[in-house]
Amino acid sequence: MSKLAIGLFAIALPFSAAAEMESYTIDPFHTVPYFDVDHLGFATMRGRFDNATGKFTIDRAAQSGTLEMAVQTDTLSTGDNRRAGRPRTRDEHLRTPDFFNVAEFPSMTFKSTKVNFSGENPTTVEGNLTLLGVTKPVTLTLERWKCGADIRSAGKRYQCGGNASGVFKRSDFGMKFGIPAVGDEVKLWMSFYGFRD
Amino acid sequence: MFRISVCLIAMALPFAARAAPESYSFDPYHTFCHFAVSHLGFSTLWGRFDKTGGKIAIDRAAKSGSLEITVQTASVSTGDSERGSRPRSRDEHLRSSDFLNVAEFPTMTYKAKQLKFNGETLATVEGEITLVGVTRPLTLTVDAWKCGQHPVSKREMCGGNANGQLKRSDFGMKFVQSLAGDDYRLFIEFEAYRD
Repeated sequence: MSKLAIGLFAIALPFSAAAEMESYTIDPFHTVPYFDVDHLGFATMRGRFDNATGKFTIDRAAQSGTLEMAVQTDTLSTGDNRRAGRPRTRDEHLRTPDFFNVAEFPSMTFKSTKVNFSGENPTTVEGNLTLLGVTKPVTLTLERWKCGADIRSAGKRYQCGGNASGVFKRSDFGMKFGIPAVGDEVKLWMSFYGFRD
Repeated sequence: MFRISVCLIAMALPFAARAAPESYSFDPYHTFCHFAVSHLGFSTLWGRFDKTGGKIAIDRAAKSGSLEITVQTASVSTGDSERGSRPRSRDEHLRSSDFLNVAEFPTMTYKAKQLKFNGETLATVEGEITLVGVTRPLTLTVDAWKCGQHPVSKREMCGGNANGQLKRSDFGMKFVQSLAGDDYRLFIEFEAYRD
């Protein structure tokens, strides 16, 4: 009798113990990584990258997930891209070997090693940033996270989106030009969305 | 003798009581207004304006000043400017009459006559913003401020960061708020060289 009861009980349990991994493809039009650094000790210099792609997975029951992103470094954009008589713009300077060396390193990537959760929601993403060919750990903190139907698609598309932030020293990756006039510490933050596959 | 002493003392006094304001011009390559708005209620959308110019006048002794900034609204830039196969890019949408209506309002301006100092440091700026032809008060909080020499050119400059916020509906921009929020936080970095 007890074996039968246990058997029936097991069948009645919801399938929450079974892992349910969902996979999302990053929406490049609404996933924008930003950075800011101190400029001359006077003001902050802010910039962004206009092309980011990738995927993330999430398994709420197992409290696990992954994130992989690639950013095209030559899409950097700081608002100064017209020479107006100067030898080069700031964006051109940032593309040179002084900074991002986009000719040799056309992309920088982030690959997660662990996603931490609070209940069903991810809180931090530990991973490795590869910049200028150098790989170092960086942790992203999720500042906003929400999943739901995308109202722009009459509910047909399901998305997760939010904001994330992190910080690293660019000299750790060999990007040493201008320190300390142009700050070493880089704050990064981004908006991101992924559509469920 | 006494009269001469008074005259000599008067001449020796610094001209603090009649200091002239110093005028600075904003460096367009290091002065940007960024904005952040909630997008779909999921994440935050950031953007900036790439073309900004203007002047700031500061009277250090009187601890007062004024400023005027003009932004080219068509220079809005949020990272999505190539439409590809879509009917329009986000930047094109922002330039349309749903938002900035740049064809009719090619500039937005900020004029301030109340610069409030905390000691030597500029702390707040109270002024008015004119956006899509509507003028409303806007106060900016200055969260970084420094005056000194540019380390390379040695030119006298003042620079820093400021922040503020506004509601676009106050200016008549009523585009569906469930898609893009009403509240815009503003983040401005600025550097200005003495004229």
